[in-house]
This record gives sequence, structure tokens and C-alpha cells, in this order.
Amino acid sequence: MSSLRDATLRKIATIGPRYLPFADVASEAVPLSRLLRLSLFQVTVGMALVLLVGTLNRVMIVELGVPASLVGLMIALPLVFAPFRAFIGYRSDIHKSALGWRRVPYIWKGTMLQFGGFAIMPFALLVLSGYDQAADAAPWIGQGAAALAFLLVGAGVHMVQTVGLALATDLVEVEEQPKVVGLMYVMLLLGMIGSALIFGWILRDYTPGRLVQVVQGAAVVTVALNLVALWKQEPRDRARASRVETQPEFRDAWRLFVKGRTALGLLMVIALGTMGFGMADVLLEPYGGQVLNLSVAMTTQLTAVLAAGGLIGFAIASKVLLDGANPLDVAWFGTLIGVPAFGLIIAAGPLGLAPVFVIGTGLAGLGAGLFGHGTLTATMRSAPRAQVGLALGAWGAVQATAAGIAVALGGVIRDLILRLPGAESFRAEAPYTPVFTLELALLVMALWAIWLVRRKQARLFQTTRYTQPQDGPDPDVVTHDPTPLTRRPTGEEPHDHGRLTAL
Amino acid sequence: MSDDPDKVWPTGLTLKEAEEVHSYLIDGTRVFGAIALLAHVLVAVSTPWLG
Repeated sequence: MSSLRDATLRKIATIGPRYLPFADVASEAVPLSRLLRLSLFQVTVGMALVLLVGTLNRVMIVELGVPASLVGLMIALPLVFAPFRAFIGYRSDIHKSALGWRRVPYIWKGTMLQFGGFAIMPFALLVLSGYDQAADAAPWIGQGAAALAFLLVGAGVHMVQTVGLALATDLVEVEEQPKVVGLMYVMLLLGMIGSALIFGWILRDYTPGRLVQVVQGAAVVTVALNLVALWKQEPRDRARASRVETQPEFRDAWRLFVKGRTALGLLMVIALGTMGFGMADVLLEPYGGQVLNLSVAMTTQLTAVLAAGGLIGFAIASKVLLDGANPLDVAWFGTLIGVPAFGLIIAAGPLGLAPVFVIGTGLAGLGAGLFGHGTLTATMRSAPRAQVGLALGAWGAVQATAAGIAVALGGVIRDLILRLPGAESFRAEAPYTPVFTLELALLVMALWAIWLVRRKQARLFQTTRYTQPQDGPDPDVVTHDPTPLTRRPTGEEPHDHGRLTAL
Repeated sequence: MSDDPDKVWPTGLTLKEAEEVHSYLIDGTRVFGAIALLAHVLVAVSTPWLG
């Protein structure tokens, strides 16, 4: 056994370095083509989201006849892992490996989880629906297997996205970050739209065999795309592997992360804005159909309008941020656009004007695009280089949790109003207007929160400007980044690299 | 790094590093095996083979 192991090790050690997935030494500028390749991991994330929330949602209810409440529960399961994103990001920050990698091992593990979940998912769903002789099996087998499959995929998605974004942030300079954020959002959106179309087209004629092919095909595509995305991306830092330093516990790292900065305020803004923009995502189509009497084909195009608005928002945000705008100002304008957008959507129902509704939807997409881009860029900029994983984990945890809660809450509010006594006599828009109004209120609160954060930022900038030159250079930064500290743009908040070592 | 006696050419990996690459391979195989086993059990539940 051990001789076999030795032989394998020797074999691996003699493979040419050209065929190993290591990047060259940290290069000065990462070309766009390489960033584009890295952003492929967002395509797999988008594919997984569409498959879980869209395609399988429908297949389980319509074709497999699984009770809608059980389907809702299964789809909500991955949300359980969302708060752990902060912890995953922190773990990747302090990860030690002989190869000098921090991000690649986690993205790889996340990919394996996603793959494993998709590999067993179709069979789990077939057993869950009592296909063929599974009807005689104990119900816990199907339920347990389906829950496990959804949990695996969810955990994998959270892991891949968190650490993938951290790797992207590692690779580029601060002034280049808006480009990366735009790229990541666009690829996520393209992945979602593309896979929704492809899955819809392949599953036109549903058969159990087709379901297995589609879901397991998604598993293979996930591994393939993530391998391509990861190849030769992360520079190795062998010095890190041999350096002996005590790493802070998660609690200490977190305290360091929020202390004396606007990190918590920013997370608050993200939570409010994400809920404000996200609550209507699943309600826009039924609203258009039931209140404005749009046809199914037209309501499906609403999603396209929303996505187009988002794409325009990302493009504008990338442009102005690369020109040096403050990311929080971009988020502020996005939220500001969201307020009249939902005003138009609310007004369109009683007025019966479909064009007003479409314009409102497009504006909501535009506002959400600006807001998402602005807040993610702000997160990247405010993170000290040694805590990038933790910062993006916290962003992802808040963003995913808020989005999940918002969608669930929107549905629950509508259903509760529909169940009120005398609901039959209500106007058609009655179940929807309160949800849209709540979104308006959340967006106004987000505007207020952004204003508070901006004020605090200005104050912090005032007080730290004079103390910064005294900070000693951080050895960690030197290995990452050959440019001298003084030449690196500091963003709105001081990049206090010395923080971790000062602990 | 060049004075590391463990270093094996032509990859420039040390034995420790090669061992880490190896551990990814082993872990991957284990996960693969477990997933395949579970998938087979689930298929056997719905459409049993071997009578």
C-alpha cells in the first residue's frame, strides 16, 4: 500500500509544470481574458440557482406531483448554509497548504459538493415522487435523499461563489475591481438566462430519463467549467506555507473586521436594499397576469425586461466606478431609481396601464443592477487585503439570506391576504400592493442607511488621513503586491493592512 | 527555495507539495465513490435490479 503511494507521489512529482494548474508568479496585470475565464464559476452558480429555484421547482410540482409545501421546504434548505459564507471566507483567508494556495482548495471542494448533489438529485427526486417501485419504499428515504441533494448543492454554491469572488478580488488592483464586479454579475445573469432557456428547451417533453440526463449533465458541466475557470489562476505563495504566524479565531477576525469601520453599516444597507429589490421577483409575473391580464408569453418577457435593466445597470455602474465614482453613491442612485420604479408598478394596477408596469419593471432592474454593483464594489474596497474572504463571505451571507427571506416573505404576505375572510371581493391588485409598498419602504430605509454610512465614512476618512503614513508596511502585502503602499489607491476607507498583525 | 533537498524536478514540487496534490486526488476519489454508492442505492429503490 505504502509503496503504491510512494510510486504515485513520485509520478505526480514528475509531471511537467505546464500541465499543473498553477499560475505564474503574481503578475503585474491580469488580462481581461483570464478574468473572463475565472468568471465562468458564476455561470455554474447561475445554472445551479435556475435549476433549483426554477426548473426543478416546476418539474417537482407539475411532472412529479410532489406537494408544493414539501417542494418549498426543499428549495429553502440551501438557505440554511448562507450565514456560513462568512465563516467559509474566513477559513480561506487563513488556509495553509504546502502548495501555497488559499482559494483553490475551497473552490474545488465546493465544486465537488455541487457535483455530488446534482449527481444524486434526479434519483432522489424520483424516489421522492414514488416513481415505479419507490412507492413501496419508506418515505424518509426519498425525503432524506432529496434534502441531502439540495443541501449539498446549496453548500457547494455558497462555497464556490464566496471563495471565487475572494480569488477575483485577490487578483486585481483596487481601481480594477469595478470591472471584475461587473463581469461577475453579468456572467451570473447570463448563466441564469442561458441555462433557463436550455433547460426549458430540453425538458419540453418530460421523461424520467430526461430528468436524469439534464441534472447529471448540469453536474458534469459544473465540474468542467469550474476546472477551466480555476486553471492557472491563483498565484502560489510558498512563503505563506512556511511562515509561522498565529491566526486569529473567527470571533477575533470578525471583531477586527467590524471595528472602527463602516462594515456593519454597509451590511445593513445590503440587507435592506436586497430585500427591497428582491421581494417582488416572483410576484411580478403573477401580478402582470392577474391584474393587468398579460398573456403568459408577455409575463415571461417581463423577466427579460428585468434582466435587461440589470445589465444596463451593471454597465453604467462599471463605467462610472472605473472613472472614479464612489461605489456607495452608485448604490444610492440605484436605490433612488428603485423608489419611483415600484411607484410605477403599484400605480400600473389600478390604472390598468401595461406599458407603465413594463417601464417600472425595467427601472427596478436598472436600480437593482446599480445597487448590487455599488455595494459589492464597496465591500471589496473596504476589505483589508488579508480579510478579503471574510468580507465577501459576510456580503454573500447577508445578500443570500436577505434575498431568500424577501422572496419567502413576499409569497407569504400575498397568500395571507388571499386567505383573509372576504378575499374574493378584493380588487385583483389587493394581494400585491402591500408587498410592493413594503419594498418601497425598505428602499427608503436603505437610502437613509446609505446616507448614514457615507457620513461615517467621511468622518473616518478625516481622522485617519493624518495617521496613515505612520503605519508600518505589512509583510503580507509585500508578497501579494509589489507596488509600494503609497501608490495603491486607498478607496474611501483606509486600507489598514497592519490590522491583522497588530492583533 | 532552491536549497530545499526535497525538491523533485522537473515540476519543482517538493515531496510535501506533491503529497498535497495526491491528497486532493484521494479525497476526490472517496467523495466520488460515496456519491456513486448512494446514487446506486436510490436507483435500486425505484427500479430494483437483481430481483
